[in-house]
Amino acid sequence: MTVTHPVGAEEVVLGGGRSPAPPDRPPATGTAARLTRPLPALLLVGLLAAGWQLMAHTSDSALIPGLGDIARNLADITTSGALGENVRVTLTRVTLGFAAAFVVSVAAGIAMGRSEWLRRFLEPAVLIGLATPGLVKALLCVIWFGVSLVNPVLTVALAAAPALTINIAQGVRAVDPALGEMAHVYRLDALTRLRYLWLPAIVPDLFTGARLGIAMAWKVIVLVEIFGLADGVGYQLNLEFSQHNVAGVLAWTVAFALVMAAIEYGLLQTLERRAVRWRRVALR
Amino acid sequence: MSTRISLDGVDKTFTNRRTGERQQIFRDFSLTLAPDELVAVVGGSGTGKTTLMHLIAGLERPDRGTVSTGGTRPRLGMVFQQPRLLDWTSVETNVRLAATAAGIDTTEVAPILDAVGLTEYARSYPSVLSGGQRQRVAVARAFVVRPEVLLLDEPFSALDELTARRLRLLLQQLWLRTPRTGLLVTHNALEAAFLADRVVVLGGRPAEVVGEYRIDRPRPRSPEDPELFDVHRRIVAALT
Ligand SMILES: Nc1ncnc2c1ncn2[C@@H]1O[C@H](COP(=O)(O)OP(=O)(O)O)[C@@H](O)[C@H]1O
Ligand SMILES: [Mg+2]
Repeated sequence: MTVTHPVGAEEVVLGGGRSPAPPDRPPATGTAARLTRPLPALLLVGLLAAGWQLMAHTSDSALIPGLGDIARNLADITTSGALGENVRVTLTRVTLGFAAAFVVSVAAGIAMGRSEWLRRFLEPAVLIGLATPGLVKALLCVIWFGVSLVNPVLTVALAAAPALTINIAQGVRAVDPALGEMAHVYRLDALTRLRYLWLPAIVPDLFTGARLGIAMAWKVIVLVEIFGLADGVGYQLNLEFSQHNVAGVLAWTVAFALVMAAIEYGLLQTLERRAVRWRRVALR
Repeated sequence: MSTRISLDGVDKTFTNRRTGERQQIFRDFSLTLAPDELVAVVGGSGTGKTTLMHLIAGLERPDRGTVSTGGTRPRLGMVFQQPRLLDWTSVETNVRLAATAAGIDTTEVAPILDAVGLTEYARSYPSVLSGGQRQRVAVARAFVVRPEVLLLDEPFSALDELTARRLRLLLQQLWLRTPRTGLLVTHNALEAAFLADRVVVLGGRPAEVVGEYRIDRPRPRSPEDPELFDVHRRIVAALT
């Protein structure tokens, strides 16, 4: 793929899939190591919180609520069940949209990776998809599909698919064509090729694409919920905003960020670590 | 179900992607493999032996002329010059996937792995194997599908002499049990003489048949058969 820099407004890093793996340091094991590893991140959070609190204290403005205020709001939405319910709604939309994007991107990415003609044919669509700001995708989907479930799912899919597709296509292009010939000679069916040839080969690019895609998904889901839907985290953010409750906006933001972080670190990175470890075993 | 393979008036030219230089590998080239005939092709490297094999396998198309396998697409067993294994899955699965795709019962996988001496590596990934062991997986994969046409591109050249000998005997057994049409590319003139019904020597650019030897010795043959050494001498003479 000739694309190295996205034309769009959103910060996308393309082609990270082939970046060299970090050097194998002796793995930090034991409980002590596990406890000290997140310390730098926690320190940063602590410093930011302290700075914020200082700012809130000195400015004494309703626009910069103190930590206590935010925490109270967070406790309120947690105990009322609003947090759980809206996060669930939003996550469902993101999951469905991402799943749709995944299926389409794997098909399109493999097609683009294997056929020069299809690459030329589909590339403009992918590039336009990358260049179009998430805001525009969200607005158009709201206009066209209104409050139906199609709206958020399609928005998320449109946001996630281009980066995913480009990365998958790149991964497939790097697959040895000799293996494709072998599969042709032995008449391996499409599913077998997908499972044993294409998917394993593109695992690193798949994860790079998935991470970028999910990052895009978070951004647009909030937008689409603000503009066109009657529930979800974005809707709640907008509600607090319209009531001039800055602490409420911040409480939802913090909660949402925590959920995203949990999914990034908890789910994606664990999956990736396992996939990469399996690859390394297989390629030893 | 025996397959006749014929190349008729085949032209094939490659264009080097970087230099744009064109080299004609075949011009008006014809060759026929009779049903159930095992033909060995010998010749210097770069002559076009692999290209010939890929033409028969349908992996390359002739620029002109025809390559025919008798109307149907025969079931192929092929050992490429490199093993071409799926690195992400076990030895056993590599062989099994080909078997399944060919409609062969998976119970036939284990005996083949045993025959190539890889039983204890069945569950290993190909990456832990030596080059010779990987090539044996490729041989097992080619044999397990009960090929109607067997295409072997220097299948034993990466193996130690002992293993190569074992696999040559295995190949001979295969022909004793069920003959089929086969093409064996090799650098080893003695191997060609031992295994083949006919040895074709390719040379020149574009490639031509510069020598052809029919070997009418009944199977099973002995690798020590003095008659074979005689053929061997004549092949080497044609090569040089
Ligand atoms: N796909 C290809 N593109 C360009 N040149 C090729 C290609 N395949 C083979 N050749 C060239 O054709 C010639 C014959 O190759 P090959 O059939 O592999 O020879 P052999 O197997 O006899 O060693 C070589 O010079 C090789 O570089
Ligand atoms: Mg060759």
